[in-house]
Amino acid sequence: MPSLYVHVPFCQSKCAYCSFYSVPLGKILDNQKNGQIFNESSELIPQYLRGMAQEIKLRFTEAPSGVSTLFLGGGTPTVLNPRELEELLKTIHRNYIFVPEKAEMTVEANPGTLTLDKVAILHNYGINRISLGVQSFNNQILKRIGRIHTAEDISLGIKIIRKAGIENLNLDLIFGLPGQTMSDWQDTLKQAVACSPEHLSLYALTLEEDTPLGRKYLTLTQNLETNYPNDDSRLPLPDDDFQADMYEWAVNYLQGKGYKHYEISNFAKEGFECLHNQAYWQGEDYLGLGPGAVSCLRGVRTKNTEDLAKYSKMILAGEKAFDPLGTEVLTKEQLITEYMMLGLRTTKGIDLKKFAGKFKVEVQDIYGQILANYIDREILILVDGRLRINEIYFFVANSILQNFVI
Amino acid sequence: MAQASSKIRNFSIIAHIDHGKSTLADRLIEYTGTMSTRELKEQVLDSMDLERERGITIKLHSVRLQYKAKDGEIYELNLIDTPGHVDFSYEVSRSLAACEGALLIVDAAQGIEAQTLANVYLALENDLEIIPVINKIDLPSADPEMVKHEIEDVIGIDASEAILASAKSGLGVEEILEAIVHKIPQPQGDDEKPLKALIFDSKFDSYKGAIPYIRVFDGKVTKGTNIKMMSSGKVFEIIEVGVFTPSMTIVEELRAGQVGYVAGSIKNVQDTQVGDTITDADDPVKEPLPGYRKAVSMVFCGLYPVETSEYEKLKDALEKLQLNDASLIFENETSAALGFGFRCGFLGLLHMEIIQERLEREFALNIITTAPSVVYRVTKTDREQILVDNPALLPPEGLIEFIEEPMVKASIMVPAEFVGPIMELNQEKRGNFLNMDYITETRVNLHYELPLSEIVYDYFDQLKSRTKGYASLDYELIGFQESKLVKLDILLNGEVVDALSFIVHKDKAYQRGRKLVEKLRSLIPRQMFEVPVQAIIGSKIIARETIRAMRKDVLAKCYGGDISRKRKLLEKQKEGKKRMKQVGSVEIPQDAFMAVLKMDD
Repeated sequence: MPSLYVHVPFCQSKCAYCSFYSVPLGKILDNQKNGQIFNESSELIPQYLRGMAQEIKLRFTEAPSGVSTLFLGGGTPTVLNPRELEELLKTIHRNYIFVPEKAEMTVEANPGTLTLDKVAILHNYGINRISLGVQSFNNQILKRIGRIHTAEDISLGIKIIRKAGIENLNLDLIFGLPGQTMSDWQDTLKQAVACSPEHLSLYALTLEEDTPLGRKYLTLTQNLETNYPNDDSRLPLPDDDFQADMYEWAVNYLQGKGYKHYEISNFAKEGFECLHNQAYWQGEDYLGLGPGAVSCLRGVRTKNTEDLAKYSKMILAGEKAFDPLGTEVLTKEQLITEYMMLGLRTTKGIDLKKFAGKFKVEVQDIYGQILANYIDREILILVDGRLRINEIYFFVANSILQNFVI
Repeated sequence: MAQASSKIRNFSIIAHIDHGKSTLADRLIEYTGTMSTRELKEQVLDSMDLERERGITIKLHSVRLQYKAKDGEIYELNLIDTPGHVDFSYEVSRSLAACEGALLIVDAAQGIEAQTLANVYLALENDLEIIPVINKIDLPSADPEMVKHEIEDVIGIDASEAILASAKSGLGVEEILEAIVHKIPQPQGDDEKPLKALIFDSKFDSYKGAIPYIRVFDGKVTKGTNIKMMSSGKVFEIIEVGVFTPSMTIVEELRAGQVGYVAGSIKNVQDTQVGDTITDADDPVKEPLPGYRKAVSMVFCGLYPVETSEYEKLKDALEKLQLNDASLIFENETSAALGFGFRCGFLGLLHMEIIQERLEREFALNIITTAPSVVYRVTKTDREQILVDNPALLPPEGLIEFIEEPMVKASIMVPAEFVGPIMELNQEKRGNFLNMDYITETRVNLHYELPLSEIVYDYFDQLKSRTKGYASLDYELIGFQESKLVKLDILLNGEVVDALSFIVHKDKAYQRGRKLVEKLRSLIPRQMFEVPVQAIIGSKIIARETIRAMRKDVLAKCYGGDISRKRKLLEKQKEGKKRMKQVGSVEIPQDAFMAVLKMDD
């Protein structure tokens, strides 16, 4: 049974590092406030909701017996108002059975967009997990990377979430940000832990070409060890070694605080590992709805167009809104490569029996020599029929995973 | 007696790189109407990309020009070209031996260069009539009078009638043609005598086989003649005789004094060695022409495919190149680090680079070149003498009585102000100063005895950079000399990488080892673990660096929408790794193997 991802392609404003498809509404809202209402723009959310309702119907046959988890991501889903959120969730519930009934249902949220009535509605419609984009507790850094919220908004947001009865909370944090020091990072982690979330995701900043940060730092030089002039315009970017130090510190610290490191970037209290994401890492099918969302069902990957207008037009005309460039029919080799690449990101690793059942071939028959070599060097660990990366090599997993490409 | 025609003139052009040889040759061709401008362009395009890019002419084609002189007679002028680089001195001497005269082209602003001088001496040895041509006289910095003096002082020939020319604008071309006709002697020789012809070049044609370019001294050759190669005794039946116009044009026969080609299903260019004498198998001469020697490889290196699966492709490519280049030699070689490859011998570094580049460009091969080496003569403790051209094959220290290295005599011609830097360079390069001549008040010719290996390592680049490009170099092998040499090995992660070993003078070993490990540290990307890089002599570590372990390479996020991109990234990285060589557990990029060569500061 596939898991369900629903993309909400709106934000109040784009963050400096983000390359996901989303339409910043801030300007539009400002314009509305100033009385300059552009019909087309103010129509965006209703247009999106209509499209979504239609897409669900169109694609119903892709998950006829239901879905196992829900992840409402973005963008910022909570930029929708309570009524809009309700409409979206109603549409989803009307069309999908969740198996189990109390399935994990996550909504991504920005602390600057949370109100009690929004969270209450989410909770009413079965949302039992909120993933909060915190990124940092340092207001200067938050401002620098274009976040719309402050550290104070975070505390407030968490209070609202708890008050509404959500018992599974994730905080997203980013490290390796421009100008970030080790003590900034340590302070952020400590404050995050003080909020007692059940789950934490720590992401090393990845510069993407089509983002303001990417444009600022990628074009210059690949050698990030170069010291940039120490003004706000181009603060030094922590290099790989520094990021590794930050990561190591975090891993030790969180383990000491009772968080289990269960995937390269993810930590959770016992029993709070994210089911939706685990489904990705175990090579399960997933259905993605909304502009820019990716699906992978029975070895065929499709991607919806990253253009709301185009998406709506196609969907309302009764066609699926696939971006032809995003469609891939995966070969068995690619499926195996992905299975290894994803499974080895987790601390549980890969169940070799499950692998053999799924692909009708033994892992050893494909990767015999590499496997033996890595196990010999204790880079990979094979225990109780499960294969995993030695945790001390997690942050250099790419070098290992490259060798599992077939 | 049928004397060779009085209407034939065989000449070559001697010039330093950039002094305008190709342009002048083009002008002569144009002026005599041998080729239209359009054909000329095609002809130029036909030459190797490499030559044009480097702005040097490795070799022009030979060409026969028909020239109606002012005396009303039509002359057959054969331009036999010579390669313009120190690596090819022997080929030059054979081309000159095929002529009666030579145009000496000297740049009006720069004067004579060492390479030019060396070739003029070769021409004088072959009793050639030298016609001095001062080229580029339209340059603002031209000083023809100075150049004339230089020619007289240095070469000792009369330069009062030197022709002032500009190949670029065409000035002086007619005068040059007239001088060729009137000053260069007609060829001596007798059509009736048994065939005696010199091979001065050869090329491979996929239909006609190996084709020797010849100058007939006596006798004649026609279709059906059975020719004998005097160095090997091999006999071939001639099926085609022709001349260069400059395309190959079939003629009835080639007679004494003439220049052209013969073809006779000769399968291998090894059978058409430059300098060899061709005679009539049915009526042979007793003595060959003087001066033949087998091409000697000066520099050796290992060539390996980056991808082991391309071994056969590399072998094919080398065989194809060898078809046209008898001086390229290669044999199988195995390296613990690099797998199967070839040890190749070259006339010099330029020759090596040309072959390397042609393999990459014309055959789309990815190759690793190991550090060039010279041939060492090793006398073992049991008195057995062996020649070692691959450092990895040097016997262990304990079995070596002594090692000798090849020496060269080098002439460096340079403006007097650079004498200091040149002496310094030669000191560093273990040179032994012989003497110094003043060519003019401002130009000197320095003579040194140097180990060939020092010339191989970065000498030419250093020479150029320390003299602002003014120095020119010529050298010849003079024999072996005992020297304190050691083998330096490189250990990566504790394992010897045989392809990085080299032989070096004891006094320089420490410094070279130090530099090389530093260089390797910067060239080898960080691996998942710390990699010590050590330089050792025998079992003694003389330098050490550490490549720190890589600590981060992972993309932090990987969810539904990232999976495809992430897989493609891994696929790309894996592809990129194919350009790396796995030695033990360490991945080494291609250019690290060349680091041994490029260790300038």
